[in-house]
Amino acid sequence: MESFEVFRHVTIGQYLPGESLVHRLDPRAKITVVLLLIAAVTFSTSYTAHLALLALTLGLIALANLPVRYIVSGVKPALPFILLLALMQLFVYGEAAASAVRGTAVLWQWGVLRVTAGSLRLTLVSLARLLELLLLVSLLTNATPTTSLTYGIESMLRPFARLGLPAHELSLIGTIALRFVPVLGEQFETILKAQASRGANLRLGGRLQFIRSAQQMVVLLVPLFLNALLRAEDLILAMEARCYGGGRGRSHYVRLRLRAPDYVAMALALVFTAAVLAARNALP
Amino acid sequence: MNSLLTIRRIVVAGLLGAITILLGATRAGFIPVPTPLGDATIMHIPVIIGGILDGWLVGAILGLFFGIFSFIHATIPMFKDPLVVFLPRILIGITTALAYRGLKRSNEVVAVIVATVVGTLTNTVGVLGIGVLRGYLPLPAAVGFGVAAAIPETILAAIIVVAVVLAWRGVAARRRTADL
Repeated sequence: MESFEVFRHVTIGQYLPGESLVHRLDPRAKITVVLLLIAAVTFSTSYTAHLALLALTLGLIALANLPVRYIVSGVKPALPFILLLALMQLFVYGEAAASAVRGTAVLWQWGVLRVTAGSLRLTLVSLARLLELLLLVSLLTNATPTTSLTYGIESMLRPFARLGLPAHELSLIGTIALRFVPVLGEQFETILKAQASRGANLRLGGRLQFIRSAQQMVVLLVPLFLNALLRAEDLILAMEARCYGGGRGRSHYVRLRLRAPDYVAMALALVFTAAVLAARNALP
Repeated sequence: MNSLLTIRRIVVAGLLGAITILLGATRAGFIPVPTPLGDATIMHIPVIIGGILDGWLVGAILGLFFGIFSFIHATIPMFKDPLVVFLPRILIGITTALAYRGLKRSNEVVAVIVATVVGTLTNTVGVLGIGVLRGYLPLPAAVGFGVAAAIPETILAAIIVVAVVLAWRGVAARRRTADL
């Protein structure tokens, strides 16, 4: 049954209640911090920067009292793909990586397979990046209730509303999406089990049988999409019945206020990211 | 209430966005195919379905989701360029919706298939085209990649999108009569 439980591992988007400092930060401060750190993760290729980032994200997760084991379990179903990709990067991208990332020295060669310092760096950095991004996104979504996340995004987009950007509506779309990931994940798992119990062969075809793969995906994706669209119809009806009228003139029961810890957190993240980005080519 | 972003569009974009995140986060959105790129993506399928069912705006918003996802998950420099990652993906939703709207009067199935092909090609040609313009890829390599990726991805997408859209039309029609 293990193979059917892939989607229970979707940990992004599940709020884990708590009283930690991270939980109590203003959602806007948390979003800013996470976006800054994502920028640092995305644009740095040095080992030092990624060690620092890894330590920092793990530290923040510990500060938020979130179970690392639970968060990391989210990667489990993707592990074979991640490893395959990593091996490909390590052995095949040697040439390309050498020019893109620093490191032209050939470390190991056997026929067409070649490991360069660049491809080794690319592989290790990609793996570190994946882990850091997972931890950062978890930090945001597991320690912030979805509603305050929405208010946060909405209030950060409000300056753009003057330019005609529908801030409230866009943040609502994001919230609905995040909210329904675990629901649809569970649904997908149920569909997998249902089809398997009817004797469907759910192992994807080989590379040359991609039409067969598509046919197998159809028995999974059609029910998934129909389920999502049916849920959408129900939600539309529910919102219309409650006379949902969008963001204009809407006030909030809880007003967001930035306090000292929020400013400190944002300032620290800004300094850290600036430092990492400024030194991204200088560090080993 | 914003006149373009109706409740229906907000909710449908949200739910299909959830599927995009699900397909990407679990890697279920990548199917092994016989091309040098390794995996064909079906991440653009929610975008195409959104564009067909609820118009260009829903398609464009879902394209943005797809873009954000590939930007965060990208491992090669080309996919760290916002221009390569976002613009073609947003366009998928728009071209799909326009193609579908133009053809749906003549024949529903043909319109869905053509719209899917247009959407998938927008993705492939857009990403690789901007990749060439921005100097990440030489033109011949891009053409090779493009042909290799576009054929299986188009076939996969057409099979899945037609199945989903037609099934949904059937369910929606039945629901409408049941409500009365």
